[in-house]
Amino acid sequence: MAPIQLLLVSVALSGLAALGSLLAGRSESSAIRIAGIGGLLAAVAGILAGASVLGGQVAVLDVPSPFPFAHFVLRLDPLSGLLLVVISALAAVVSIYSLAYVREYGGRGVGAMGFFLNLFVAAMILVVVADNALWFLVFFEMMTLASYFLVIFDQDAEAVSAGFIYFLMAHAGSMAIMAAFFLMANAAGGSFDFAAFRAAHPSEPVASIVFVLALLGFGTKAGMIPLHAWLPRAHPAAPSHASALMSGVMIKIGVFGILKVGVDLLGGGVMWWGILVLTFGVVTSVLAIIYALAERDIKRLLAYSSVENIGIILIGVGTGMIGLAVHQPLIAVLGLMAALYHLLNHAVFKGLLFLGAGSVVYRMHTKDMEKMGGLARTMPWTSLCFLLGAVAVAAIPPLNGFVSEWFTYQALFAAALGGTFLEQFASPIAATALAVTGALAVMCFVKAYGEIFSGASRSRHADQAHEVPAPMVVGMVVLALGCVGLGLAAPVVAPVIGSIAAATLHMPVVVFANGAAVMPGEAAHTSLSTPLIAILLIALAVLPVLISATFKAARAGARRAAAPWACGYLPDSHMAVSANSFAQPIRMFFAPLYAIRRTADTASDHIAHGFGELVAETRRSEPLFDRALVAPVAEAVGGIGHLLQRLQSGNFSTYCLYIVTALLILLLFTLR
Amino acid sequence: MPSLSQFLLALVQALLLFAAAPLLSGILRVLRAKIHTRHGPGVLQDYRDILKLMKRQDVRPPAAGFAFRLMPIIMVATLLTIATGLPIFTRATPIAALGDLVTIIYLFALLRFFFSLAGLDSGSSFAGIGASRELTLGVLVEPMMLLSLFVAALLAGSTNVGAIGAAIAAGHIRSVGAVVLAGVAFAFAAYFELSKLPYDMAEAEQELQEGPLTEYSGPSLAFINWAMALKQLVVIAFFLAVFLPFGSATGLSLPALAIGLLVFILKVGLIIALISLVENSVARTRFRLTSQHTWLGVGIASLAFVFYLAGL
Repeated sequence: MAPIQLLLVSVALSGLAALGSLLAGRSESSAIRIAGIGGLLAAVAGILAGASVLGGQVAVLDVPSPFPFAHFVLRLDPLSGLLLVVISALAAVVSIYSLAYVREYGGRGVGAMGFFLNLFVAAMILVVVADNALWFLVFFEMMTLASYFLVIFDQDAEAVSAGFIYFLMAHAGSMAIMAAFFLMANAAGGSFDFAAFRAAHPSEPVASIVFVLALLGFGTKAGMIPLHAWLPRAHPAAPSHASALMSGVMIKIGVFGILKVGVDLLGGGVMWWGILVLTFGVVTSVLAIIYALAERDIKRLLAYSSVENIGIILIGVGTGMIGLAVHQPLIAVLGLMAALYHLLNHAVFKGLLFLGAGSVVYRMHTKDMEKMGGLARTMPWTSLCFLLGAVAVAAIPPLNGFVSEWFTYQALFAAALGGTFLEQFASPIAATALAVTGALAVMCFVKAYGEIFSGASRSRHADQAHEVPAPMVVGMVVLALGCVGLGLAAPVVAPVIGSIAAATLHMPVVVFANGAAVMPGEAAHTSLSTPLIAILLIALAVLPVLISATFKAARAGARRAAAPWACGYLPDSHMAVSANSFAQPIRMFFAPLYAIRRTADTASDHIAHGFGELVAETRRSEPLFDRALVAPVAEAVGGIGHLLQRLQSGNFSTYCLYIVTALLILLLFTLR
Repeated sequence: MPSLSQFLLALVQALLLFAAAPLLSGILRVLRAKIHTRHGPGVLQDYRDILKLMKRQDVRPPAAGFAFRLMPIIMVATLLTIATGLPIFTRATPIAALGDLVTIIYLFALLRFFFSLAGLDSGSSFAGIGASRELTLGVLVEPMMLLSLFVAALLAGSTNVGAIGAAIAAGHIRSVGAVVLAGVAFAFAAYFELSKLPYDMAEAEQELQEGPLTEYSGPSLAFINWAMALKQLVVIAFFLAVFLPFGSATGLSLPALAIGLLVFILKVGLIIALISLVENSVARTRFRLTSQHTWLGVGIASLAFVFYLAGL
């Protein structure tokens, strides 16, 4: 089938699965099955559709719509193809996972959950392929609303309030995007087609305003600091498989939007756009991971880490846009490629981590890491998958997170060698910030894994936990294999993503791989071979094992001690390092950065408070209207009524008098 | 892809470092005793300790899981992998695909990840605090280390460690001031990685009962002690490869390699004499004041960056 037909099949299947799940709402197990299997089939079609255009072809579908100014145009190019593959792949895994996970929500409307989840996936797919501003906004709104209903699914106070903030900020963002599109449409002579936008070439000030509006609008969706406030509240509130989709792919739509407007529609622009994106990326990545480190709620920690990774992606995007603006194809392609690779990788490992967190919460019924501990013994599969995800997100070789960060460093290095002073100045600073982010991420995920899965258990639930059902394990294992595969197969993956980046930028392809090694361009004097690192790590681990084995006969077998050493005191579970105390040194050394958040939170509190005031004021002004306008009118009408009532006294002789009077008056009229 | 001889050289140098690591810690112990004006054990004492520990029973705390058990092996394997990628006796990296500075820094992160995780996994409070400190030091030192290397790499035009060393040895460097300052900053950062006084925060013996090592015993402890010595040697070799590459072999002929080996031994001897002087003349820094020291290092690295921008 042609790519576009596969795409339509995927969307149709999502729609059918959504409706089927809603209609079968009464019978919960069939609703879960329809939503899960339907979603899986739709995702397979989506993967096939996306993969078939990665090579560089472009497929377009143009159908007339009810509105003469807005054609219904779908366009599959390599960039949207990549996004389509990422969305569909994660949706496939989430669908498998949901087959068991959603049973947790039995009796609370699982049919509706399947409906919104499939609608959410379909909306995301349509957003990335829409090629008309009006339809783009319609699908963008559909995506926001579907995810909003998933956020408030729990219906408790926290979920509703998180959902409200999400709703508010998402629509503020949509407003900025709308304004950007209207400005573009104005420049394109009234057409809302992206094709017309591409051909428009607005003057530089207009283009800059459009870009900044789009950056703010899509940045809100992506969770870019300081527009992130909704994200660490909304993502944890949603059910875990929906959080995986929101953190794994929905926020990437924000990055996609920035690329769409900045690179695809406006064609590059000026250098300060790239510097602006780079600055946002640096600030976002460092601050977000510092905040993540201070969390003890596992899902909030993961949500902040998503913000951090958006920052890393934006560093790549910014570098690419700088390269595009100053016409240095190597820097442009390298930066964009690093960003797209990290976008793909983050979807895989963050999806995995959210599913892992979902599995833990499924058994523990709490998100507080201080109440967990020791789950590696009782949930071995979940533990192993979560560990792979943690190593990947901490950018540790040879897994996938490292490969894309390596390319980000190489892009920054190439930019630092580039011509202009601004590039030479900004890139090494960004690289240093990336290094700090990397070290903090290591600490953050040692803490997350260590507090949940290691050491002694700290609650009764943790003692009694056992492994989650098979579909959930399968979902996690698939993504864990993805982390390993995308890391070790970098020499195969990198050229594909590189060609997508080059096609998006309309620039010549850069050589990214040679044999089993990847490299940043043909002329680079450096390379990286993840397969070789993996082979050496495994082969050299044999050495200590062999040495230990030669002395095996000389020593007694291993034994378990009664308790860890506590200076002669009886150790208890409160002595072990907790999630809070583990991060205490960082809170001490980086106190000013936490102070920023307090200030920012106070500001957002003021905004929330101000909104409350507005509501209260509206309530107070309502009676005012009543008194000034509604009540007098009502009173006047009532008074007239009373006067009229006197006419109808019920006395027969009075009615006779009325008739005689009326006759007399008519007689007088006719005589005149 | 590396040729067979390059691959062999990589393995040989890693194994040589592995074999010599206990000697390094032995020499440091002897020097320490000399400075304290006491007799102390011989230079081979650490080999004897390792041999003895190999024959002792492995006792694990009740909460320990697979992270605790696998850590010593992962630690040795990671350090050996780093050692294969560094240019040690030669100017160029034996395996270029392992010799990128970002790769090396992140392989050290792999080490730190499992070292700290094992501390948490043991369930001991001392090990947990040690783990937290180890990672915090990583956060504080990382900017210094990366920025100083980045400046050197910019001057050499490549992020490959061997290429940077070759450019510095050949004198193809635009600004000498920047490279000297970067070298100072990197040496400072590397000193933190040695876990020596005054910065042995994570394994502080008197304060934290050796931190993440508290609960280890038998062969596991032997491998960790061995790996800690190997880490010191690898960090020294990393510094020498980038900032003091003078005298290393430019080709792969045997005489050149022999001279490279000799020069390497001389340079390491000089460095450990310096290390011994520092570690025996200072007291441990208070942990909460460490950030002041690291900020100084970041300051030096930033100065190197400014010198680079100015071309001084």
